[in-house]
Order: sequence, then structure tokens, then C-alpha cells
Amino acid sequence: MGIFNRKKKSQLYLSDRQELTLFGKFGVAASHIVLMIWAVVIIWPLTQMVVSAFNGKQSGYLILNREFEFSLKHFEHLFQETLYLNWVWNTIFIAGATAVLTLFIVSFTGYAYSRYRFKGRKASLMTIMLIQTIPTFAGITAFFTMHSIIASVVPQFTRQMMLILIYSGGAIAANTFILKGYIDSISSELDDAAKIDGCSNMQIYRLIIMPIARPMLMLIGLWSFIGPFMDFLLPRVLLTSPRSYTLAAGLFTLVNDFRTMNQPAFAAGGLLTAVPIVLLFMALQNQLASGLAKGSVKG
Amino acid sequence: MATIGIKLYDEIGRTYDRKNTYLKELAILVNQYHNASKEEKQKLKEEIALHKKRKQEHPYYKMYNEFKSKEKIFKKELKKEVQNFRGNLDDDSSSEVKSLKTKDFKAKKTMDFYEHYSELTYEADFKYHEAEMERKHYPELMGIIQEKERQLLEAMTTKKQEAKQTDQKKENQNFQQFKNDKKEELKSNIAELKRKRKEKIISEKAKKTGIAELKKRYKNALQLRKLKNPVVGNNEEIKALKYDLKIIPKRMKRTLSADLADIRRKTPVEVEKIHPVFAFTTFLLPGLGQLLNKQFVKAVLFFIASLFIYLVAVPYSLGYGNYQGEGIAGLINLAEGAPRIFRSLIFMIEGIIAILLSLIAIGLFYISFRDVYGVEKKEAKGVRSKNWYETVTNISQDGFPYVVSMPAFFIVIFIVLVPVITTFLLSFTNMNPQNQSKFNWVGLSNYQRLALGEGLTGSVFWYILGWTVIWTLAATTLAIFIGFFLAIIANNERIIGKKFFRTVYLLPWAVPAFITILFFSIMFSPNGALTDILTGIFGQRIVIKNDPTLTRITLVALQGWLGSAYVFLLSTGVLQAIPSDLYEAADIDGATAWQKVRRITVPIVLFQTAPLLVTQYTFNFNNFSIIYLFNSGGPFNPTRYGNLAGSSDILISYIYKLTMENQHQAVAAAIIIFVSFGLMFFAFLGFRNSKAFREERL
Repeated sequence: MGIFNRKKKSQLYLSDRQELTLFGKFGVAASHIVLMIWAVVIIWPLTQMVVSAFNGKQSGYLILNREFEFSLKHFEHLFQETLYLNWVWNTIFIAGATAVLTLFIVSFTGYAYSRYRFKGRKASLMTIMLIQTIPTFAGITAFFTMHSIIASVVPQFTRQMMLILIYSGGAIAANTFILKGYIDSISSELDDAAKIDGCSNMQIYRLIIMPIARPMLMLIGLWSFIGPFMDFLLPRVLLTSPRSYTLAAGLFTLVNDFRTMNQPAFAAGGLLTAVPIVLLFMALQNQLASGLAKGSVKG
Repeated sequence: MATIGIKLYDEIGRTYDRKNTYLKELAILVNQYHNASKEEKQKLKEEIALHKKRKQEHPYYKMYNEFKSKEKIFKKELKKEVQNFRGNLDDDSSSEVKSLKTKDFKAKKTMDFYEHYSELTYEADFKYHEAEMERKHYPELMGIIQEKERQLLEAMTTKKQEAKQTDQKKENQNFQQFKNDKKEELKSNIAELKRKRKEKIISEKAKKTGIAELKKRYKNALQLRKLKNPVVGNNEEIKALKYDLKIIPKRMKRTLSADLADIRRKTPVEVEKIHPVFAFTTFLLPGLGQLLNKQFVKAVLFFIASLFIYLVAVPYSLGYGNYQGEGIAGLINLAEGAPRIFRSLIFMIEGIIAILLSLIAIGLFYISFRDVYGVEKKEAKGVRSKNWYETVTNISQDGFPYVVSMPAFFIVIFIVLVPVITTFLLSFTNMNPQNQSKFNWVGLSNYQRLALGEGLTGSVFWYILGWTVIWTLAATTLAIFIGFFLAIIANNERIIGKKFFRTVYLLPWAVPAFITILFFSIMFSPNGALTDILTGIFGQRIVIKNDPTLTRITLVALQGWLGSAYVFLLSTGVLQAIPSDLYEAADIDGATAWQKVRRITVPIVLFQTAPLLVTQYTFNFNNFSIIYLFNSGGPFNPTRYGNLAGSSDILISYIYKLTMENQHQAVAAAIIIFVSFGLMFFAFLGFRNSKAFREERL
């Protein structure tokens, strides 16, 4: 394309897009302004949190918009005076176990409901649909007592394990539906081919369906993992000693309990908790969006 | 009088002639009886009775009994002969071959014996064909095994010796030489590729895959060359043969099992029984019927079920082995009159568990009954019952979905259903601060209290319900509006820094909500930062948390801030998937930007995201965190709300306060049931209208 010289090129309007009218230009500018304003609305409170986590001028309460002095003392307080590391470990344990258990159960049910026409299938699907709408908190009165009953049989059964079971149980219905929809979209010719080659049902599940459904499984695993980080109600109900708290319940004591109140330490703890999750979300942005859309169409 | 088929049928409906002439005659008589006129019926009835009476004198049975007695003797002799045969086998061959030879011998003898009787009865016919099939398979298998064993022996002795005599040093040298040559070749090939890339003849990707392929080829070549070394090759050969010896017999035995099962299916069975009898024994003990049907492994499985029924379900339901309760009875008396440490709630939950266990037990009884009943019913028709191999195949085929759903089933029953049923039952009791440990059934009075707005707990119910509905609609709609609006603006191709905006807009969703809510709560507290700012703007101190209306507005705005991120992400995903030709076509037709948004973008996005947006409404309906964490449901307004709730409480936070903080569990349970039914109703409406349900595609 050496025929045109460069100077001439820059004078030409070389775009697929239509040239903007004055009004259009104004519209684009306005769009930018609106987007910027909302970005500020989002970022300002979050930066305040970051700033207050590092502001050494505060003691028990947050002070904003005044003096600032960089310090890590709130983090020190968090690690030395509170059970923060315990809470982190508890949350990771509960979240991890929930994710594994949910994936294990749901991968089977999703596969079974998608690929087999068995007796009672439609009835149980309807039941699942209805169960899914009953919120998990419906059982709050019973959870505690149920734990004592189970613990009387199996003394090793802790409240955290009860929490794991409740989380997984609550996740089965909805995720079965989502995964079923996803597996429905995998051509069943693959199964047939594998069957002809002598694969058993279990092998088809393990060697064919699961690898293809991996994106959706990852998403389900991620949600089940994140759930316990975000949930506040059930740990409050079920866990009684600060040592067994999850992050949500633990950090709450830094804000609401007068004996342990330390707002800047809460900001610090919140920051430490939020950063890995935010990074995870950013890394998986596209998958999250497409996964959500898929879940919606199939529902 | 029940009919007997004149012919026999197998599972896929092929017909066979009866061999049992007694039964055949009986069947003909019975058939005649059914078709006969009234006068003839009496006569035929007598004839049938006579026929049945003379069963043992029937020529067929004479022959049959002779066969049976001879079979008995044959079996005894066969056992001895087989032992002899095994003892006389030469010791050269391996135990595998020996046992095969013995089996072959046994099959041959069996064939010889049953051949004479195969016209007499299907029993003998079946055994004859089975033995015949075995004889077809064993020699072949034996041949293969012997051949492989011979090869293995050779590989381990003579070939190994030969291999050892080769000059390993030289071999290694040769190999090194070969390796160096190949390495040079690889290097030059890679260099060539890189050169091509530099000259832009090929793309970066082509270069990368090309290099990977070359490396793989290089490795493969080395691997192949290594095998040329006699020692290495010999070792590999031994390994391969050993593997073959392990796997081939297994595979061929599976084929034999399948062939035998095929014979089983093709050979009918002839029984005198017309009505299932054994099936009813399973009501006593599941597994007994299977045992009588001679399906032994199945019987073991069902006996395990029996153990569960008689050692777990029944005692538990009767109150044995309970933690405190009295099984199902405890559900009725709710620990009334029991010592102080016995709690009604425990009695209730254990009662529910007892009922569920009993239901499972009844289910097991039923399954076992159906199983035996089906087998017997089929046998009467002529279908041979399945053996273990077939049952396993069947379970792994048709039973697969049931087996893999078991964990889900149990978790749903015991972790999801038990608490829900408990809550349901609790709503009919009077569990309140005065009756914590012991409570009673009180019927519908909790619901009445709520519906009429009576008493301490019920009077605020309608206020709270009203605010809950307003909150749900306002907060969700605001979030949807903001998220949707921003997504459409940001999806314009002329926007600079899209990636930045998308990342920032993700933040409210990505940061755990409890953190942001608590932080906002701190900032809105009387000496918080935002309160200071508001004071600066309006010139007077505005403490939002003390004003009901302002608190509510702030909550809605805050949820708009939090929830918009999710909607934004969702709509962006859908927006990007809209094919651009739609817009191009609109451009050509002269559509304005606004028209494109209104006619193309909005309908598509709304249609695709609608189901998830509906879940956003239910989510906010139950959004405990934001209400409780922001202001604990406050500010409190005792004149209107009493002491139990604050003016920004929604139903779920009210339930939480009633249950956890004020011990009004029964009323809270009634509210939960009310809410759950509401949610279920809406979900059902939505589900009924969904495409999947309408197309019966499920």
C-alpha cells in the first residue's frame, strides 16, 4: 500500500464508523462524564477504606478527611490482638470443603438429570425447583439443635462441619439446574460414540462430560467457595466461640462489640479479605459474565 | 381361574413352545375353560382338577423325575471326576491353564449329560447351551494364554541371554551417536523455523507449534531407537507380555459372561407357579424373596437393607437409640411431663427424623417387593431371572442415575428437609420466651396473630411486610436501572477506557458485601465521615441512622450501589453477544442511536437476563446482611414498632431478631412459612412460564 503517502492518509477519514455529528460528539462526551462520575462513586468509599486501614492517626474509631500518617499498626493489631488468622483459616476450610462437596454432588446429579430418563425424574426436578426457593435460613431454629443431635452420635462432628453441610445442601438444587442446562448443550453424540467404544457410564462421566463441562464446574466451585466468605447470617447463628468464627462473623466483632471494637483494624481486615477475592474476580471477569448469561438462558 | 400361557415368552417377546407337556395340556384346558360357555365350564373345571390331581402320574413327570434323580447322581460323580482330572494334569502348565482345562473338562461332561435331556426340559437345554458356549471360549483362551506364556518364557530365558551377550558399551555409543545426530537435526530445523518467522513467512503461532512438534518427534525417535538396544527391548517385551497375560483373560471372561447372559435371555424358563408368592415374604424381611428366587447377591444387598430397617429405622421410630426423644411418639407429646433437661425441640426434630427414616424403610420394603414380584411375574411368563452379571450391568445402566444421586438425596433429606419441616411444625406451637424448653401444639394461633396483627409479635408484621415489599421493589429496580444504563453507555464502541470502567464497575460486587456495608455503616455513624460531609453541605447535623425515612433511602441507594455491579456485568455479557449485523442493518435503514437502543438492545438484554433479574428480587427480599449490618434494622421507634423490631427491618431480619435475640421462635417460624410459600408461588409462576417447562423438555 505504498501508493498513498502518509501525509495524505491522516487527512482522510478512514474508519468503519460514521463520522460524528456535533450532537453525537456531545453525546459521547456526556457518556464519558457519566461513566467517570459513577467510577468515582465506586472508588471513593473503597479508597477511604484503604486509606483508613493505613492511617496511624486513628485509634479505636475511624477518622477520615483529616490528618494522615502511614502506619501498619492496625494490621499489627489485627494479627496480634485478634483471632484474624484463625478466622481466615476457618473460612478457607469451610469454603474449600463446601466447594469440594458441592462439586462432587452436583457434578453427579447434573449429569444424571441431563443424560438419563429415569423414573421419578420430572417429579424430583419439580421438587428441586421448589426446594431451591426455600431460603436456607428457614431452618435456623433447627440447625443448632440438629447439630447437638448429630454430635451425640458422632462426637467429632463440629459446628463448622454442620455449616459445610448446610452450605452444600443449599447449593445442590440451584447448581444441579445450572449444570444440567450446561450438560444439555453438550452433544450426546459424544456419549454414544464413547459407548460404542465400550465406555461405561462412569467413564463417560469422567472422561467426556466432566472435561467438557469444566468451565461451568469451575464457576460452580468458585461460587460455592466465595459463598462462605460473603455469608454473615449462618455463622452468626451456628458458631458460638470467636475461635471458630468465619471472617464475616469475626470482623463484625471489631465493629459492633464494645469490648473488641477497633474500626481501623476492621478496615485493615476487610482490605486483606477483599484483595484476593477482587483479584480472582478480575482474572475471571469474562468467564463470570459468560457463565452468568448461560445460566440465565438455560434456566 | 388364572390363565397359563400355552407358549412361553422371553423378555423381548419371542415365543417358545412349552416342553413340559403336563403344563401345556393344563394351559390348553384352562384356555378352553375361559372361552367355553357356561355349561361346558363346569365340565372343564372338573377336568382341570383331575389333571392337576394326576400330576405325578403324568408321563412327562415320570420322565422329569427320572431326569432329576439321574442329575443328582451325575452331579456327585462329576465332582469326583473333576477332582481326579485335576489331580492327573501334568505339572508343566500354569495354574491359570490348569483351571481352564478343568473347567473345559467339566463343561464337556456337562454337555454330554444334558444333551440327552435338552428336548425334555428347558432346564437341561439351558445347561447344555451354557456348557457349549463355555467350550467354545475356553480352548481359544487357553491357546492364547499358552502362547503368551511360551513367549514370556522365551523372552525371559533365551532372549535375555542373547541380549546380555551384546556389547552394551557399543550400543550406548551408537545410541549417543544417534542422539547427537538427531539433536543437530532438531537444532537446524528450529533455526530454519525461526528464520522463516523473522522473514515473516510464517506467524508466531505457527513457529511455536512447529517447534513443539519437532521436539516431540525428536523425543519419539529417541524412544524408538532405545528399543533397538536388545536389553531394553527385551525388558519392554517382558513387560508387555505380562500385561497381556493379566488383561486378556479378564477381557475374554467378560465376553463369555455376556454370551452366557445372552443364552440366558434366549432360553425361557418353565415354572408351575402362576402367582407371585415369594414377593410377599419381603414384607417380612427384604432379601428373603430374592433368596428364594436364587438371586443370591441381590439377596445380600437387600439383607443389608433389612439390617438398616430392623436395626436403625424401626428402633429409632419407636424411641430407642434417640438422643433425647421418643421417636414418632415424641412428635405428639413434645416431651410433656419429661424431666427439665428434656427439650421439646429435640423431641420434635427426632420425631421428624424418625418419620423420614420410616418412610425410607417403607420405600425399601416396596422396592424389594417390586423386585421379587417382577421377577416372579416374568418367570410365570417364561422369562428367566437375571443372574448377577446381568444385574450388575443393569444397575450400572438403568440404576446409574439413582446410585450417583444418593449423596444428594441424603443431604437434601437430612440437611435441607429436616430443618424446613421442623420450622413448619414449629409454627403450630407456642415456643416463646415463656416456653423455651417445653412447648405445646397450639394450632393456627400464630398465623392468626400475624394475620390480625395482634400481640407484641404480630402487631408490627404488616408494617414490616409493607416496607419489605417497598424495599425489594425499590432497591432491586434501582440496581437494575443503574447497571443496565451504565452497561448500554459503556458498550458504545467510541468509549475510551472501556476496560478500566468495566474493572471498576466490578468492584462493588467483588468486594464482599459485608465489608462494604459495615464500612458505609461506620461512615454514616453520628461521628462518621459521611455524616460530617452531609453536615458541611446542609449546614445542620443530619444523622441518617436516627431518621427512619433517611435510613430507608440510604439503604435503597446503598443496595443500588452494590447490586448495579452484578447487573452491569450480566448485561455487558449479553450486550457483547448481540450480533453486530443487527446494528449494521439498522444503520442502513437509517435508525438513530436511540432507536437502536430501544428496538434492539433493550429487548434482547431484558429477555435474556430476565430470569436472573427475578432472582435479584428474591435476593433482596431476603437480603439480611444489608439491613442488619447497616443499622441493625434501626432506628428504633418503640411507639410504632415496639421493642422487637426497628423501622428499617425487613421480614428476614425480623425473623432473625425474633429467633436469635428474643426467643419468639414459633411466630418467626410462621413468618418463615408465610414467606416461603410466597416465594415458592412466585417461583412456580416463573417456572411454569419458562421455555423448558412448556416444551416438556426438562
